[in-house]
Amino acid sequence: MMVTPAPLTAPKKLEIEEIAAAVRDRFGPAVLVSRGQGGVVLSVSLFEPTTHPPISKMLFWDMGCSFGGIVVEELKGKWRLSYLFLSAGCGWVEVLVEAPSTVSALPSISSEVHAADWHEREAEDLFGLRFEGHPRLGDFILHDQMWPEGVAPHRKLHRELIDVHQEHFRRRPNSEWRPLLVVQDPGAFAMPVGPIYEGGLGQSVHFLLETVGEDVVRAVPRLFYNFRAVEKIAEEQPVSRVLLLAERFAATSSFAHSLAFCLAVERISSTQVPARAKNLRILLSELERLRHHAGAITGICESTALSVATSQAAIIEERLLRACCQFTGHRYLFGLNTPGGLRRDFSAESCTELLKAIDRAVADLHALEDGLYFTSSFLDRLEDVGIVDPDKARDLNFVGPVGRASACSGDLRRDCPYEGYETYQFEVPREIEGDGYARLRILFQEAYQSARLVQQATHRLEPGQISAPCEPLSGGVALGWAEAPIGPALHWLRLDASGLVERYRVMTASFNNWLGFRVAVEDFAFQDFPIILATFGLSPTECDR
Amino acid sequence: MSFWFWRGLQKGVQTTRYPRAYENAAGVTPGRPVATQFSSAHEAALAAQVCPVGAITPQDNSARVNLALCIHCQRCHFGDEPVMEWRSDYEWTRLPDTQQRYEPLPKAYKRSLHIIVVDAGDCGACLHEVKQLNTPFYNMHRLGMFFTATPRAADLLVVVGPVSENMRVPLLKTYEAMPNPKKVLAVGTCAISGGIFGQSFVSAGGVSSILPVDLEIPGDPAPPLAILHGLLVVTGRKAPVGHESASERSS
Amino acid sequence: MNEWIGRVLVLFFAFCGCGLVLSAVMRGRYAMRVLVGFSAVCSALMMIAAAFALAGGHTFSVSLWRLDGFGSLSIRLDMLSAIFLFAAGLVYFPASIFVKNFVESRFQGQYPLSRYGVMHFALMASVVLILTAGDAPLFLISWECMSILCYLLVNYERPRNGDGRAAYIMLAMSEAGFLAVVVAFAVAARMSPDWSFVALAAATAHLSSGAIWGIFVLGFFGFGVKAGLVPVNFWLPRCYTATPAVFIPVLAGVTLNVGFYGILRLNADIARPHGIGPGLLALFVGSVTALVGILYATTENDMKTMLAHSSIENAGIIVAGIGASLVFRASGYGLAAAIALTAALYHMVNHSVYKTLLFQGAGEIEAATGTRDMDSLGGLARLLPALSVVFLVGCLSIAAIPPFNGFVSEWLTLQSLLRSASLVSPAIKILFAICGAALALTAALAVTCFVKVYAMSFLGIRRGEWKLRAPKRIRQPHFALVYLASACFLLGILPTYIIPVLNRAVEPLAGASATASLVPPFFTATPQNQQLPAAFLHDFHNLGAQVGGSVLPGKGMVVLVRGAEQNPVIFAMSTFYGFVALALFVIVTWLIVARLTRRHEVVRNELWAGGIPRLLPEMSYTATGFSNPVRVVFQAIFRPDIVEDTRKTVAVHFRTAILRRREEEHLVDRLFFHPVGDAIGWFARLLARMHHGKLNAYVAYTLCFFLLILLLYRLS
Repeated sequence: MMVTPAPLTAPKKLEIEEIAAAVRDRFGPAVLVSRGQGGVVLSVSLFEPTTHPPISKMLFWDMGCSFGGIVVEELKGKWRLSYLFLSAGCGWVEVLVEAPSTVSALPSISSEVHAADWHEREAEDLFGLRFEGHPRLGDFILHDQMWPEGVAPHRKLHRELIDVHQEHFRRRPNSEWRPLLVVQDPGAFAMPVGPIYEGGLGQSVHFLLETVGEDVVRAVPRLFYNFRAVEKIAEEQPVSRVLLLAERFAATSSFAHSLAFCLAVERISSTQVPARAKNLRILLSELERLRHHAGAITGICESTALSVATSQAAIIEERLLRACCQFTGHRYLFGLNTPGGLRRDFSAESCTELLKAIDRAVADLHALEDGLYFTSSFLDRLEDVGIVDPDKARDLNFVGPVGRASACSGDLRRDCPYEGYETYQFEVPREIEGDGYARLRILFQEAYQSARLVQQATHRLEPGQISAPCEPLSGGVALGWAEAPIGPALHWLRLDASGLVERYRVMTASFNNWLGFRVAVEDFAFQDFPIILATFGLSPTECDR
Repeated sequence: MSFWFWRGLQKGVQTTRYPRAYENAAGVTPGRPVATQFSSAHEAALAAQVCPVGAITPQDNSARVNLALCIHCQRCHFGDEPVMEWRSDYEWTRLPDTQQRYEPLPKAYKRSLHIIVVDAGDCGACLHEVKQLNTPFYNMHRLGMFFTATPRAADLLVVVGPVSENMRVPLLKTYEAMPNPKKVLAVGTCAISGGIFGQSFVSAGGVSSILPVDLEIPGDPAPPLAILHGLLVVTGRKAPVGHESASERSS
Repeated sequence: MNEWIGRVLVLFFAFCGCGLVLSAVMRGRYAMRVLVGFSAVCSALMMIAAAFALAGGHTFSVSLWRLDGFGSLSIRLDMLSAIFLFAAGLVYFPASIFVKNFVESRFQGQYPLSRYGVMHFALMASVVLILTAGDAPLFLISWECMSILCYLLVNYERPRNGDGRAAYIMLAMSEAGFLAVVVAFAVAARMSPDWSFVALAAATAHLSSGAIWGIFVLGFFGFGVKAGLVPVNFWLPRCYTATPAVFIPVLAGVTLNVGFYGILRLNADIARPHGIGPGLLALFVGSVTALVGILYATTENDMKTMLAHSSIENAGIIVAGIGASLVFRASGYGLAAAIALTAALYHMVNHSVYKTLLFQGAGEIEAATGTRDMDSLGGLARLLPALSVVFLVGCLSIAAIPPFNGFVSEWLTLQSLLRSASLVSPAIKILFAICGAALALTAALAVTCFVKVYAMSFLGIRRGEWKLRAPKRIRQPHFALVYLASACFLLGILPTYIIPVLNRAVEPLAGASATASLVPPFFTATPQNQQLPAAFLHDFHNLGAQVGGSVLPGKGMVVLVRGAEQNPVIFAMSTFYGFVALALFVIVTWLIVARLTRRHEVVRNELWAGGIPRLLPEMSYTATGFSNPVRVVFQAIFRPDIVEDTRKTVAVHFRTAILRRREEEHLVDRLFFHPVGDAIGWFARLLARMHHGKLNAYVAYTLCFFLLILLLYRLS
């Protein structure tokens, strides 16, 4: 039985002026509020870093902003940290903290905005910046068991790290290392899962499930087994090469990431993308979302061992993959985006073929959905399992379909539209139970909405240009964003004067959601763990970059 | 639960007939660039410059392709510059450059192969394609191939990804935990040459710098049929590409 | 034969006395050898005397002194006593040999060996006197000596092992039980000329059923203290945990049996119940005891406490068998009663053997590693391979896995409960069914419990921080443990030889012989044999029941239980043939595999754990985790209070430590010990109001009491 989504209550819509006024009123001379640049609508510069936690708290809790991420830059002689908040309907608000290079520690905001926890840990691991008041720094990206102390690979002075002959980084594991175990109960133990589990068919992630026997009391995920330092190897590279990196670090959402990257470049060079390219970009984004959700549904059926349903869902997904390949030449939509538009055009016949394939996929999805909701043994494993309360979801800033299942209905396509989404008709589904069944329903609903968007995009295609020239690129700073299938993808870019990338920062939805994943797993039995993992559908490799 | 039984029967058989018959359906492979003749050396040089990773090298009037470096960015497929010819095939499993011939697994494994997969920094696409082998369209079980959960029962190690530093030790441990005879198959351009990630302080630039690789399957990602072809080569039921036509191999 | 028994008994007491004197007097390194040697000889003599008695088949009886008013003190060795005497000797032998390991090596001179030796021989003598007493005064005097000696021996290593509170509880309960038993004997002796067992048995035939009930309840719970029955067994886990390893085999293997002996002697032999009520009570209490015991054993991590709870479980099974036998006897089904009683006695013998083995094994583990906590053990199979094999035999036996002895007695017990189909009243059949289900559940939980014990102690990787001590003991298994393991094995595969021996004791108590129906003469049966129908014999011969008839003596290797007339089913079991088949299967498989893999090379590599660099001890399953499902499912019984203390740091969403403590009050403590203790305390406080220290009031009390006595004297 399908639950009709609750009436759409969009998050608080505030005007820029309201936010600016509120900040000025409360913090007065300690801040400078100004218009932002490069996609950011409001920039709050702090003179005093200690005002940072209260401001963040006000933005996140009182004004209902969601947290995007932290961009750490090492400029000449100083650190520049940009904390990005999204006010729905208004835009991106950045809180700018600048500190001299010699600063030892900055105040941590993770006690107020818990979602910033991992962003600060990443900054500490990669840049060596300490955050005072953070409960747990270290052993994050550079696993303590493998990496020596004091290595901050993203510092500028480590540029030569790209050179492979730095042998002292290839170490043997430290045999004295012990994991930090939280549960102190006589008889408690930590069951290790991964990094190679499920026969290696799952992306590499390691869990220590602390338990006293039946229920998981504490689940600690250890990520970054797939860390390839995309942000670092992008430095001093031309945009065309970094575009390839943006496409390929998380290939199952590759179009969304490359789109966010291209939007950032277009914002820097102020390029107007032609209308046909915009519509095609929406079409391709939604095609990718539809295919991704079919894959996620396959994963959920597989985790509950409902073999026939798994096969049915896998058939839908493979057909969509083949439709993508037939339409664009690549199964995962590589090589389509370019700054300024798209690299190739599509004929009307191929659009018609694509629509046929999508209609067939939607019909199959409806049939599968009816069958699944009819199977009580399947629903038993999803209902009331892996529950994330709306309060916790808001607290830990869950995004994407996972957030929408727990009443956090943020969606960049609606809250901060790009490429013309504001002119399209679509709904953003929302559920409040926050269990596995709600997440499954969200996946199906979003898949149908994506098909609807593809049809609308096809009908709006007017003949025209598919790209506008972007070269030559000069210096600038911009933020590009897109709603990837797992959630918001933010690509922050700073180009130097010759058009090479000076700083490339990627903030992904998986990174956000992995922080709060353990909340869903704790206090449920071991047997539910793989199912909860599948209903979240998070990608470790998207988080690791 | 007879409902799902009937539902499954209604769908019919979707499985490809490969390797009995060559699979021609649309969308099974992105294809690959092949050596192309141009009208002048200048055009061949221009075509070669299009490739961001140097997989195309000009040689007089023609441009040669080293598929082991190709990352399927499709810049040589469509665009303003002169483009290469593309072929829609998928049987491109090759020997590593350092090897001359391939010794398949003993006869007992010909129709019974157990595989363990390790994700060593993969972007997700190659791993996803490997997972598709278990779906009704490709169904590798009918060929006697299975994924195992533990390397102790595995004959073949499939590695995807350029081997990130944090996965180096788990990959080595997996290899050491496998009993003899064992083979290593590197799937995807990243696993062969590091792909776009190359060699860095966190990327080994390919499996061959960590483990002895027996066979390679280029592609970014390698489509499921290419991987299936590769598995058939591992068991000796098909021959690798490098073995057949040495002219396609790079200098 | 009889005079030989007498001579052996005299020899026994002589050796015992010599051993006692020599232990008290001797010092130096020969003291230990004297102790061990004399003790071993004494236990061998016990077994010889019992063997002679069983072989002869007659009761040996001799009078000692006369006491005025009580009759003469006498020694009487009948079949029941002989069985128990043999079991006691069987346990005392390895217990004696093993003393050396525990006393000498660790506490050189800290606790004087002479004290131990004296008490050891005195206890041995008093146990034999209890088992061979022919009349109540000798029985009761030696019982009291045994209680006190047990208390002293439990406190042998007192300053090291705690404050002696546990032993004090045991002593208090023993005294309470003793009082109940004395009153029971007094009631029985009301109409009897003297206090000898023969006379008492004759006299109680004329008692009213109310008096029989009274004797039963007092005797059952009075002896039940020593036997470990709910609700009077709350001293047992505490006491066993505090007992030093040198004494615990005797405490668990011998004195527990003495409780059963008392129950059988008083309630089955002397004051046999007329109705089925007492038997039903025994059956019910036994089943509840078994279930409670195994539940706490499964969830306990301290090895000694776990084995204590397991002793409670086995005591419950034995008493359930006894109860079933009483019910059948009172209903007139002598054969069923005999089967049930055979099962109970068999289980008693088996339990002594494997419990001793397990306790000694646990003592070895504690000596080798310094810890008894199963949560921190692990990996001992590599370090102590010989001990792991014999301990495995003990675990398999107690978990009732064929072909070991636990299987035979559990099987017989459950079979005898199935015979309740022949009873008339449906309510009683339902009660039997419930008790049977409870015992089946106990058997299943016992498997869980001992899988956990063996796996968590010996298998896996080391979880705690202990280091292995005493390396030279690693290679060779101790003779005592091998002896006990062999006894487990032999008692398991030769039930058809044991049952006729037990039958000698069962027959007078149950009124029928079980041998013929349990052990049919397959080897010697001819078609003309009238006992069994010809078609039946033919079928079983086709199944191979007579295989081995030409080489093995006796009646056959198959144990048979047949249903009643309404239920003509046959249950047959042969652990011997099962073992032979298993051995053949293993050998053939090994040969095939060796042949097929002769060209394979075995490579040893480190553990695969998903690719992590090293599997740390904190990542392996603990004993608590293994038994957690049982704790969760039976939460209503355990009623744990889980106190969760979480220490929060600066960030509310991030906890650095989650501390959980579990506090549990034992079911019997919660329902019986503490309420009774509180009631007694309340009553004592009430009485304390009388002790206010005012002299005038005390004089008034004396006056009132004097007047009361005068009044009573006047009235009577």
